[in-house]
Amino acid sequence: MAGKIDDYIAKLERTRVWRSVFRSGTGSSTLHRALAIQQNVFLHLFSTKVRRRMLGFKATWYLGTLTLGTFLILVITGILLMLYYRPAVPQAYADVKDLQFVVSSGLFLRNLHRWAAHTMVLLAFAHLFRVFYRGAYRPPREFNWVIGIVLLMVTLLLSYTGYLLPWDQLAYWAITVGSNISATVPVIGEKVRFLMLGGHQVNANALLRFYVLHCVILPLAAVLFIAVHFWRIRKDGGLYVRQSEPIREPAKEDESAVLEKV
Amino acid sequence: MTEPKDFIAGIGSDIKKSQKRVLFVTRRTSAQVRVFDEERVQTYPEALFRAALAIELLTIALVLISLFFNAPLEGLADPTNTPNPAKAPWYFLGLQEMLHYFPPVVAGVLIPMVLVVALVVIPYFNVNIEADGLFLKNRHRRLNIFYAGAIGLSLFLWFFHVYVALIPTLVIAAIMLVAAFSSPTSSQPLRRYLAAKPVSWWVMTWFLLELIVLTVVGTFFRGPGWSWVLPWRS
Amino acid sequence: MNSLKAKIVASWKAVVRDPIIPFGVVSLLLLIALAIAPLKDHFSEWRNYQHQYVRMIRTRGDAVTLQRHFQGGIRQIWLPKLGVVDRCQTCHAGLDEASLSDVSTQPFAAHPVIPHHLDEFGCVVCHRGQGAATTVAEAHHSKMAGEQPILPARYIESSCGQCHHSTLEGTPKLNQGRTLLTGYGCVSCHTIKLADGTTMTATDQPPPLTHIADKTTREWIYAWLKDPASYSTTATMPNFNLSDADARDISAFLIADSEPLSGDTAMTPAVASNSAADPAAGASLYGESFCASCHAMQNAAGNVVGGNLGPELSGIGSKVNAGWLQSWLRDPRHYDPGTQMPQYRWTDQQLQLLTGYLQSKTNSDFLANVHLAAATPAQIAHGKALVSEYGCASCHQIRGIRKPDNFAPELSRVGSKPLEQLVFLDGMQHSLPDYLSEKVRRPRAFGTNLHMPVYAFTPAQLEAVTTALLSLTDRSFTLPPQLQVPSPRISNYQPAGHAGQLMTNMNCLSCHRIHGRGGDMAPDLTWEGSAVQHQWLDAFLKNPNTLRPSLIRRMPKFNLSDSDRAELTDYMMTVYQTPAFERDSMPLTGYAPAEVEQGRQLFYSKYGCQACHIVNAQQDKGYIGPVLTQVGSRLTAAWIYQWLKNPQALRPGTTEPNQNMSDDDARALTAFLITQKTSLKQEAKQ
Repeated sequence: MAGKIDDYIAKLERTRVWRSVFRSGTGSSTLHRALAIQQNVFLHLFSTKVRRRMLGFKATWYLGTLTLGTFLILVITGILLMLYYRPAVPQAYADVKDLQFVVSSGLFLRNLHRWAAHTMVLLAFAHLFRVFYRGAYRPPREFNWVIGIVLLMVTLLLSYTGYLLPWDQLAYWAITVGSNISATVPVIGEKVRFLMLGGHQVNANALLRFYVLHCVILPLAAVLFIAVHFWRIRKDGGLYVRQSEPIREPAKEDESAVLEKV
Repeated sequence: MTEPKDFIAGIGSDIKKSQKRVLFVTRRTSAQVRVFDEERVQTYPEALFRAALAIELLTIALVLISLFFNAPLEGLADPTNTPNPAKAPWYFLGLQEMLHYFPPVVAGVLIPMVLVVALVVIPYFNVNIEADGLFLKNRHRRLNIFYAGAIGLSLFLWFFHVYVALIPTLVIAAIMLVAAFSSPTSSQPLRRYLAAKPVSWWVMTWFLLELIVLTVVGTFFRGPGWSWVLPWRS
Repeated sequence: MNSLKAKIVASWKAVVRDPIIPFGVVSLLLLIALAIAPLKDHFSEWRNYQHQYVRMIRTRGDAVTLQRHFQGGIRQIWLPKLGVVDRCQTCHAGLDEASLSDVSTQPFAAHPVIPHHLDEFGCVVCHRGQGAATTVAEAHHSKMAGEQPILPARYIESSCGQCHHSTLEGTPKLNQGRTLLTGYGCVSCHTIKLADGTTMTATDQPPPLTHIADKTTREWIYAWLKDPASYSTTATMPNFNLSDADARDISAFLIADSEPLSGDTAMTPAVASNSAADPAAGASLYGESFCASCHAMQNAAGNVVGGNLGPELSGIGSKVNAGWLQSWLRDPRHYDPGTQMPQYRWTDQQLQLLTGYLQSKTNSDFLANVHLAAATPAQIAHGKALVSEYGCASCHQIRGIRKPDNFAPELSRVGSKPLEQLVFLDGMQHSLPDYLSEKVRRPRAFGTNLHMPVYAFTPAQLEAVTTALLSLTDRSFTLPPQLQVPSPRISNYQPAGHAGQLMTNMNCLSCHRIHGRGGDMAPDLTWEGSAVQHQWLDAFLKNPNTLRPSLIRRMPKFNLSDSDRAELTDYMMTVYQTPAFERDSMPLTGYAPAEVEQGRQLFYSKYGCQACHIVNAQQDKGYIGPVLTQVGSRLTAAWIYQWLKNPQALRPGTTEPNQNMSDDDARALTAFLITQKTSLKQEAKQ
């Protein structure tokens, strides 16, 4: 049975259409696998090989990976939520209520989006501190550290703009408090707030502005900077290694054993 | 007579030829291209599947949380009815706590800007890159600077009654004091550890502690009128 | 054993080394976790209720009809103009099924019959709660801002008041509550604006205190301030829970602040000599003048009997100065230009009789323990400060103190006050109705620095006031204007000329309404000139006798001079005519006996008028409508005819039913009624 399925998959991988999409071929040789990374527009951001000692949990706690994970969850749930949401007053609140009460699994979607958002902020902070304490900001990774800070800002802004969208008391007053702070910037403060809210108060204009920021501008910025962030990891020589961390000699037999299985 | 085709049909071209790596070794990057003969594994499948595994585990956790805990949703926004206290999202509560003590320009603009700039410049200072123990070189001068800085900051916080931020400051200062009088060759591992810590480590640790304390205080211990409340009593 | 352990270790190592197998397992787990959400949706509360409903209707006789009506899934009433999205019927599936009226288990009972249809107004407009919700807890008990939990059924009439701003038949509790709000001076301190653009105005007419020293003594003021209810159980003045010292100082200030009014005390010696006059004569004058229509008094049996338009008079002798009382009875407007008390034209002798009679009605206990030393300037100054502090001038006119604006919080939207803005007492239910009720019942419990006085309301009155307050909602202001049923426009109609002056003196408008202004305790006189015959009106003004035997309130006898009476009669007959028909378009006499007999048949058999009216004093027993034994001498034929055709067109709101009579029937009945002319003399003999 399993063999039959494998046959079908192998057959599928040999078809012309498949080959036109996945150039890397079907083999499980080192070359094929390297090509799988190199020839994929998304995966080519990564290097084809990584240090085995960086795969363990201890080195990174997988904080960057998990932050990406929450971002993916947020994109998926966010797109689904957009189907039910109108950025207008007072429809926005009614739509959130409808999500809660009549949309199938709507409450679950919103919960997942909300909790993933909080988790993402938490993970981004954790990632920042973890990188710092490992000293991974050292040259040549300076600029990737800066991009990381930018990504943290984008994350905070994403979370903050999303906070207003349910148009409930919590949202309204959190944003009011925040926008009042920005108004205290000397000289340009009032202008900054006007630009941010599209008016002098948190109202329907502000909601629309935050919606566009939350659903278009900031996610695009996040995707862009995430791409650069990953690409820089490869360009800066892979994940940062401490001199003190033990180097493991290559164990050829181990690798071949894995390869055989795959 | 047909014209010869101006393209090659099929994949039999040199597309699949693997690129050769050409490396320019400059003096600046030479340290990083030292070749370790260490074990490397292929990103696909080893790293990718582990990453996917981690993301999936996180997703399962979040899915389970979402199934049993509902996201907060309050009543329709009402500009005429201010909840007391009106709280910002949790990650801004540290700033909101500062807002309680300092004028908005300081707490809402100056402090966050200083924070971001400070974070950005970390990798551009050699002192952070070399990361020698704070009190190992120029010991006398550095101790004096530390005393002046710690006492000055503490007095400043005291003056503005920012006891919430003062306590973590004092805690860090006390530990730094321990570090100042520890030798990197001490027999106690903790003292050895502390003595080797550079200035950026201390600042960052102070920042982390302040961030945690202020956020926790703002989230759980502040009630109407930003007064102290106990979270288990409401 | 060891080999097993080795196997486990080996397989664990394989798993750790090779991420693909755990990836597969975890992916499967993830899919399972993702499948829980739709599953949870499927076993939702509302689906469960719909299953129960379906099971329930299966057992009933009309199962087929009910099943045909039933629609599964989420059902909602969507009314964008009202801001209503009510999904209540998702669980309350049988609301519209009249045949389920015997079902008492919620959520399946049928809705009681009401004047509106569910699809017009939805549910939350009346019941509150969160209509969009599809879970029991969220729909009924949500207390978040902008949402109110379900309104307890005993306050449900309040919801009618969101659109219906005037008295509404079928909502006695709401009507009573509104009457209390205006009648007990609540709206003197609290502004209450209604959604129809009007503001509730006080109807209690508290007396001015500018000349209070002429009227009563400092001791009485002191005792009254301490506890108004101990003087009169029907007092509308609330208890401010004043300390002895505060009451002493306020009374000192009010007496010191009072300005003597000319003429109040001039008569004192004459009254003193006449106080020994025949007490029985005074009592009978009190009775003849129908004082009891407005004033209550304790009778020999100890019961307080009489109307509540004016103050209770049981202890009046302990309260007022005899000279002032006589001057007041002679011309009440001299002392209080805004009073509702009519000016009677009593002779000096009658005045003395009545004054003497009233002065004998004392309440000795009330002042028994009041001994006040002469007031010091400090006390007077403190009293003035207290009068300002307690907002006495919100109700009473006081020299030197202006009526404060917005002395107390505005209550126009108190029925939607968010719960988080309320401070509850320990042990109180955290609900708005309970809060309002407690706040009215014991206002001082909510803070020692509060000035709101205590009203001695009965539990029923308390519930009524709470109901009226709950009707003042935000929603009331956001409902479409075409739904508003406004309170009648307050008219400032003023009768003109000398006759108008007479009517003002007699305060006709205290009881009668003319062109939208005036009380509703006596017939509307707007079209009186078309309704009655000149001769009857003249005779009635001379000696009013009651038309409705079941009423307590009666028209008083004003002792008008012949010339005044003639002028008033002429004025009313000329001015108060309806443009709808000609008064003399039908003759008063000359109807054929056959027609009269046909009318009698119609009266007794077809329309059954004798249920409410009396034509034959010996045999009819209808006491609800006016007695018609002499209707032929009273009303014009044209009025009777038009009245029978459509009573509401002539007097909106009358209880007389519109029978949609044919012209012939109306004519015959008119012919019958116009022949009912028992003369006044005959009546007197009976």
